[in-house]
Amino acid sequence: MYRIGIDVGGTFTDLVAIDDNGTVTLGKVPSTPEDQSIGVMHGLAQVAASLELELGPFLANTDRIVHGTTVATNALLERKGAKVGLLTTEGHRDVLEMREGLKPERYNLRLARPEALVPRHLCLGVRERIRADGTIAQPLDEASLNKAIRVLRREKVTSVAICYLHAYRDGRHEQATRDILAKALPDVHVCLSSEVLPQIKEYERVSTTVVNAYVAPILSRYLSRLEQALAASGYDGPVLIMLSHGGIAPIAEAIRMAAGTVLSGPAGGVSGARHAAGLAGIDDLIPFDMGGTSSDISLIVDGQAALANDRRIANERIALPSLDIVTLGAGGGSIARAVRGGLLQVGPESAGAVPGPACYGNGGVEATVTDASVVLGYLDPENFLGGRTQLDGVAAAVALDRLGDDLGIDGVAAAEGVHRVVNTQMAEGVRLATVRRGVDPRRFALLAFGGAAGLHATDLARQLNLNRVVVPRIASVLSAWGMLATELRLEVTRTHIGDTSDLDIAAINQLYREMEAEGRNRLSNWFDGDIHTARSADMRYGEQIFEIDVPLDEVNFEAPDLLEQIKAAFERRHETLYAYSLKDQDPVLINARIATIGALPALPEEPLMAAGADTPPLGQRRIYLGQWLEAPVYDFDRLSAGQQITGPALVVSETTNVLLREGDRATTTPHGWLDIQISA
Amino acid sequence: MSVVDPITASVIQHRLVAISEEMGEAMLRTSYSQILNSSRDFSTAICGDGGRLVAQAEHIPVHVGALPWAVKAVVEFFGEDIHPGDVFLLNDPYHGGSHLPDLTAFVPVFANEKLVFWTVNRAHHSDIGGATYGAYNAAATEIWQEGLRVPPLRLYARGELREDLMQMLVVNVRHPRDFQGDLAAQIGSVRLGERRLETLIEEFGADIVVEAVDFILDAAESQARDVITTWADGVYEGEALLDDDGRGNQDIAIRAKVTIQGSDLEIDLSATDDQVTSFINSSHANMQSAVAMALAFLFDPETPKNEGSLRPVKVIARQGSLVWANEGAPVTLSTSHSAQEVIEAIVKALAPACPDRAMAGWGRRFRIAIKGEDPRNGKPFIWHMFHARPGAGASPGGDGWHGSGEWHSTGGLKFGSVEIAEQRFPLFFQRHEYRPDSGGDGRFTGGCGVDLELHVETETVCQTNTAGDGARHGACGLLGGADGAPHRYLMRAPGRRAKVLPTKLEGIEVLPGTIFEVHSAGGGGWGPPQERDPDARTHDRLNGYVSRRAAKDV
Repeated sequence: MYRIGIDVGGTFTDLVAIDDNGTVTLGKVPSTPEDQSIGVMHGLAQVAASLELELGPFLANTDRIVHGTTVATNALLERKGAKVGLLTTEGHRDVLEMREGLKPERYNLRLARPEALVPRHLCLGVRERIRADGTIAQPLDEASLNKAIRVLRREKVTSVAICYLHAYRDGRHEQATRDILAKALPDVHVCLSSEVLPQIKEYERVSTTVVNAYVAPILSRYLSRLEQALAASGYDGPVLIMLSHGGIAPIAEAIRMAAGTVLSGPAGGVSGARHAAGLAGIDDLIPFDMGGTSSDISLIVDGQAALANDRRIANERIALPSLDIVTLGAGGGSIARAVRGGLLQVGPESAGAVPGPACYGNGGVEATVTDASVVLGYLDPENFLGGRTQLDGVAAAVALDRLGDDLGIDGVAAAEGVHRVVNTQMAEGVRLATVRRGVDPRRFALLAFGGAAGLHATDLARQLNLNRVVVPRIASVLSAWGMLATELRLEVTRTHIGDTSDLDIAAINQLYREMEAEGRNRLSNWFDGDIHTARSADMRYGEQIFEIDVPLDEVNFEAPDLLEQIKAAFERRHETLYAYSLKDQDPVLINARIATIGALPALPEEPLMAAGADTPPLGQRRIYLGQWLEAPVYDFDRLSAGQQITGPALVVSETTNVLLREGDRATTTPHGWLDIQISA
Repeated sequence: MSVVDPITASVIQHRLVAISEEMGEAMLRTSYSQILNSSRDFSTAICGDGGRLVAQAEHIPVHVGALPWAVKAVVEFFGEDIHPGDVFLLNDPYHGGSHLPDLTAFVPVFANEKLVFWTVNRAHHSDIGGATYGAYNAAATEIWQEGLRVPPLRLYARGELREDLMQMLVVNVRHPRDFQGDLAAQIGSVRLGERRLETLIEEFGADIVVEAVDFILDAAESQARDVITTWADGVYEGEALLDDDGRGNQDIAIRAKVTIQGSDLEIDLSATDDQVTSFINSSHANMQSAVAMALAFLFDPETPKNEGSLRPVKVIARQGSLVWANEGAPVTLSTSHSAQEVIEAIVKALAPACPDRAMAGWGRRFRIAIKGEDPRNGKPFIWHMFHARPGAGASPGGDGWHGSGEWHSTGGLKFGSVEIAEQRFPLFFQRHEYRPDSGGDGRFTGGCGVDLELHVETETVCQTNTAGDGARHGACGLLGGADGAPHRYLMRAPGRRAKVLPTKLEGIEVLPGTIFEVHSAGGGGWGPPQERDPDARTHDRLNGYVSRRAAKDV
């Protein structure tokens, strides 16, 4: 039987099929943004053809499809989601647009005001009010609700978010509103804040619920189309969707929590990195994905990917747990300019795909990182993307010469400068991201994937004092591969505020037990294997405003000193993150959390390569590393296991180029990956 | 001629900015009180030898340009007696500080036994002693009633804490634990910066790093001069009025005379009114900082906030005036007011010279705090209002942001969750929505302020005090745009008539069941209202930013 991972990106749809022996078959086809399912079906046909199978028998022999989709992400980025109406407690209809009073860019007072996802005339107050202690200050007033419904009907909204104050304590007003709405406007999609994110802090809950209402209808339409197309082609197994938190869930659950799919694609990359780390026996890893316009980094600590719940995507707050992926504004297409009276700046502006870097020959004239790589000899203009595209080396040189003129240096020095500056920027970005997570980057290995990462990873590692870089052979389809190595995961949250010492032990136990029952119950609807759960809590000191996520796995809930144990767990976490804790202070528990995890059978391991005679280089290339020198160029796909390469050298494949600098030593692993020791 | 190449200088510049950001990140994550970790009322910076500002993290604009004066005060006091491992501290507005709650910590960084850098952290502490909690004392007539004055002092001598000195500070503030936690976070932050700078110096060598700093500052200067050159030469005047001094004197004027000659700028504030007896006076450093803030807003956002970009600017002021008070006068409100009016006067003056850059006024700060006993647990509480943010000013970039705050914070102050506030305080938020018709009209309109109806649910009498401005003067409109609506705060005790709250008053009694009706100010409009796009007017009406009634009047 096959398992298929499908990652739909902006340009390409990547596919990975793995059979029971662990043999991997790859597919890559252009994405079809107007209907992503068309590209997916093309890709499946391509993989089937590679296996010399018809699509029908191939799919009939497949027992799992895992899918990362950018449908929700694109709807949000391009503002193409549903027409949403927002029902709030009367007197509080501006929660969304207020954004807690925050405006980005402190010194940019000429920054234009953005439009909120729901325009104010569709934010409607309904007379009802629950108090902080859960008592009802004002019962739901149907007349006022009906007035709001008349507006929603007149304005032809297609989706409604219902978000009342303190609904995390009691969702009955929201539920009653949904029932009335279902009768009045049966075709409208409805999301309740008490279901999407039942936790305190109205801005986060409202924003998350609104995003959910905004993307759910379009995601739902797409996934039904895909399901139908797959069924029509003979597939009758489950389709599981990659979620932002790194777990997977079936289609119905993904639609219910549609806001939790906006990082579906990058989450696959992190899952792939995590799986790769496991295979390579590395516990602490920094996945580094450098693309055309930006670079994504994240952290894997002790084999676990870090989660965050303070994400903003396309300027919208999504407070669902999601992988902590930091995007830096530097990629291969980033434009380099002389600014500020002669200093070199790279990015955040990018030449994008159109016109692209000067060397693409599509009308771009400004120097980009990719142009610098061409001038320095790191990229072969005759042999880009496996020879499918030719680069214009002259145009790159002209662009860098012009930049050099502005800086008062020659074009090659400018090109080298572009690499130094962009690598410095990325290194500082990684450093800040690790500081935020309270970890020291030096003990980490860097896992390089994505088109441009391999040319920068070794220098980046050196700047961060990391001594190891790993480049998987399937770096270019790591996301699709990673999706196959994930678990089913479902998160349950409840707000339960109290100073730790005042909590009722029995009540806490009951709360967690109820949440676990809910999580198991929901998960068992679509999974009959082993389920395990993990408990955690969001906690902080009384005067603080940021909660931290405290794992409670090692806490014995049956013990009489439960509260002391919870407090101690908080203090350990606080010390890790912030280097101190205040023993004489009582932390506050804000939200209780449960992760319900259903483990899927492990991915069969890919057959290992046998050691063989060293493969000779393809040839030599003149590259610039402080001086011009001749460096050997190796074919990544033909290296033998155990083969060692010492820099300066280039290792290239159709989609991946790796630069080894002076003294870097790469060893080919039995998986065919490069494991690089960085010279000090 | 410098030998450092532009690439090395660029790399070092990125590193310096990243170090100041990392110092800020460490502060944010380790500070204890809400005003620091939520409102981010702190800043981190690297200064060069002699105090010139090299790099500053983007936090609260009001601190921009203020820190060099603090470093200069330390150097002036200690001269050559500065050693590795020392940590210095100050807050005194008459020794390089801005106002007493802002405590600044410094660490000198040495290379080859030569002082090359200072890492600096300024943070607003929730209390600094004095007659009232939190230092905003509308009744103060002299600085000693505002809190503890800390002139430049050495808290750590060659790495050793001077315990007696720490004890002296700690016993003089109301919440010693918070104070120590926040101070520890500040010291951790400057020490982190020190370590990072030492690594940088090790990597490149002190000479190259110092030369790179010269390069970076020269580059910033030339960038600032490029901007100023595009402004029309001439002498321009602007005036901004504060409501009052809280002692019955109204319309206190700050006057800016700005002379542009080529790429040089002279800002003369000497014609400003004399100092007053209340806390709206400004120290010299705070005035300098307000001038720097105005220019940071008028230049491009990308212009580095460092000593170089301020080199073309000469500031003249008169000692004894409101913006440079004689030693001893109270000053606590000045980081908001009069600092905002210094900005307003300069921007108004320069608007004709650079209409495509000048922005209309942002709403003024009008804070209230309520202190009482929570009937649910019998514990005392103090609530500071950060809700009901005023509107932002319009600009050539478009309409002002609704409810995004004052000129000294520019959208950097986060108000807390209503749900959390109701959970933690005996308060009930009946209404918290935009205030229609409060943004100043114009081609681009000012942002709306916010209406807040707040019920005080105590069983015993509480106290409230106010500190702010802008109930008489709205945020200024610019280049034909109208002023925003001023603040209007009402207090309605049960069975009594609503009372308008003045902006500067201490010790107001609040009866149980009192309702506060806060209507915060809107931002100023930019450009003539008749030039507003009719579609934008339709949009304003449809979305209720402008009421039907007000729309008819246009």
